[in-house]
Amino acid sequence: MKLYEGQKGSTLQVIHMELPVQTERRLEVLGMLEGTRITVVNRKKKGAMIIKIRGTRFAMGQSITECIEVKEV
Amino acid sequence: MSTKELTIGFVGNPNCGKTTLFNAYTGANLKVANWPGVTVEKKEGAMRLHDETYRLVDLPGTYSLTSYTMEETVTRQYILSDDVDVIVDVVDASALERNLYLTLQLMELGKPVVLALNMMDIVQERGMEIDFHRLPEMLGIPCVPVSARRRTGLEILIHTVAHHQDKALGEKIIHHHDPEESRHKDAEEHHKYYAMVYSDEIEDKIDEIGERLKEAYPDMENLRWHAIKILENDQEVKERHPLDLTDLLDQDYEKEIINQKFGFIEEVIGECVANRTRKAESTDRTDRLLTHPVLGLPVFLLIMGLVFFLTFTVGDWLKGYFEIALDWLTEAAVGGLTAVGAGEMLISLITNGIIAGVGGILTFLPNIFILFLALAFLEDSGYMARVAYVMDGIMGRIGLSGRAFLPMLLGFGCTVPAVMASRVLEDRRDRMKTILITPFMSCSARLPIYVMFSELFFGERAMIVAFSMYVLGLFMAILSAFVMKFLDRGRESDMLLIELPEYKTPNAHTIYVYVSEKVKDYLSKAGTTIFVASIVMWLVMNFGFHGYTSDMDQSFGAALGRVLVPVFAPIGLGYWQIVLALISGIAAKEVVVSSCSVLFGIGNVTTEAGMANLFGLLGSMGFGPLNACALMVFCLLYVPCMAAVATIRRETGSWRWTGAMAAFQLTVAWVTAFAVYQAGSWFL
Repeated sequence: MKLYEGQKGSTLQVIHMELPVQTERRLEVLGMLEGTRITVVNRKKKGAMIIKIRGTRFAMGQSITECIEVKEV
Repeated sequence: MSTKELTIGFVGNPNCGKTTLFNAYTGANLKVANWPGVTVEKKEGAMRLHDETYRLVDLPGTYSLTSYTMEETVTRQYILSDDVDVIVDVVDASALERNLYLTLQLMELGKPVVLALNMMDIVQERGMEIDFHRLPEMLGIPCVPVSARRRTGLEILIHTVAHHQDKALGEKIIHHHDPEESRHKDAEEHHKYYAMVYSDEIEDKIDEIGERLKEAYPDMENLRWHAIKILENDQEVKERHPLDLTDLLDQDYEKEIINQKFGFIEEVIGECVANRTRKAESTDRTDRLLTHPVLGLPVFLLIMGLVFFLTFTVGDWLKGYFEIALDWLTEAAVGGLTAVGAGEMLISLITNGIIAGVGGILTFLPNIFILFLALAFLEDSGYMARVAYVMDGIMGRIGLSGRAFLPMLLGFGCTVPAVMASRVLEDRRDRMKTILITPFMSCSARLPIYVMFSELFFGERAMIVAFSMYVLGLFMAILSAFVMKFLDRGRESDMLLIELPEYKTPNAHTIYVYVSEKVKDYLSKAGTTIFVASIVMWLVMNFGFHGYTSDMDQSFGAALGRVLVPVFAPIGLGYWQIVLALISGIAAKEVVVSSCSVLFGIGNVTTEAGMANLFGLLGSMGFGPLNACALMVFCLLYVPCMAAVATIRRETGSWRWTGAMAAFQLTVAWVTAFAVYQAGSWFL
């Protein structure tokens, strides 16, 4: 499933990211790597989300959350 | 210890409390400058401890040291330069896992690094524990717990820096790695000197590239760092030190290097941090309301409403006292000057020129102070970043990311930093768009214009009229962005990605430094730009083709204003005095108000008597509420002040673009004021 389909409060594991290299690196530098577990803190209908990565919250637009493949854990 | 002044570079992630720590050392006595050629801000301060002077440099907050953004490149180059003796890496100890990535990158630069674990008060509050024996063992650098908010550990940190300044490479690092893990010939050596040791495959490559670099550039220092950067395919390093490595580099290793760094970080966290699962409950609770999918937006509008309410009401109440003081000063000046026998011309210059112009502007200080105080609160509490998330949906509809809203929000304070804040947007086109619409966000310098004219003509409804100017500005910004989105259809815009820091009680000292900086700016503007503009205005108004004249109708200013009257007549501003005030407003928007004082020869227009006087004068000219409305609209939308235009020129790097923008704004201002005036005359 894609990240934007994730429910509020769920913990997900990143499988793959299909983003422009620069955006992908930016996420990786923040600690969001393939295999990292993340939590959906909050979400809007359209797919903008607040995600917790390694204890820090990040807001992400829909254009990012729809390009990240995750699985439930 | 050497007698040489030590330069300490403060580096850290955004939101790690770096600025609070820096301010705790230096206070508000900062020198804010840009690096030559680029507008990346650096702050400098100095402090003394035990008869030694230390120079402290605060660098922009950053998550990494890649060369993807100008800010990171500049930061990196500066740290590598000879200017910096010791790096203080400030980390948020309550979010160590994410902060340590930058630490590992800094350590690879080869300069002495001291780790300052900030926010130790929060760590304790949450019941987390950090092993301060194991952490430096694993990282090979000194780690000092501090709390910038509680001002603890500050002196120890500087001591550590002083004693650590000559240490280029870490002492033996105690890893307890299993030597069997690695078959690398130098594994033992690597683990002795580098905290971060990569997999055999990558270490092999680092060694090989290092050797080739040594051949090609015999004087190069820190081969390991350069080699790692080349493996990461870092464009800046590759351009500066070109090397043919096609046989070695079969792929981009950046992802793998990041992965392995985080692997090591997880190891460090696992060994050094206990009880880290405790959550920051209060932030989650607050966010449930403030970032609520439906309520988030109304809550934001309510907060902004409150900010403006305070700015206008409390600000105006305080302003009354400033006016009384100014009146007293004018009288005293006239009395004093007459007593010493000063000429009529000099008295006129000082009272009608300088005191009326500069003093008039100073009376708005309370409004400005409260506005910036409110903005500082929003910023320091951690709410500002949430606004980007809340506004993302709406901004998406006009083709911008929620992040572009932050510069716009700062635009309510001052256009100059707002335009500079657009740097957070990576995409150049998005940045240009944001810079174009930011001046429509009504800055604090335009506030005096609204306060004066709305109080003059709208009495009790003054606040509503003034507030509607802000709404109109926002509306014009959104409309312009919408049109631009339509013009470049199908283009992907910047993606929203922003950290939402933990909420915290705003720090009094941080707010004090922030607000006092702004107040100082405002005062120095009154003392320079507005001072000069007032004198020039007085000269233009009191000299004509026949020399000094007390009849303004005969002055140069009147002649110039009259030339442009036909252009401004259709928008209800066809009065040479108003035209001249608008032209002078390009120096700084407040000058529109100070010019009115000078132009209409009123000592202090903002007092009750002065207002009544101006009201009468304007009324006799046929200038009514509708004209005032058109004037406020025009002031809201036309070319921003010189300082803002210069900043826009610097940020966009193009005169053509800046010129086009000014033309666009003049057109928009004229057309909107025309619509307001003509529609108004139709109905009234």
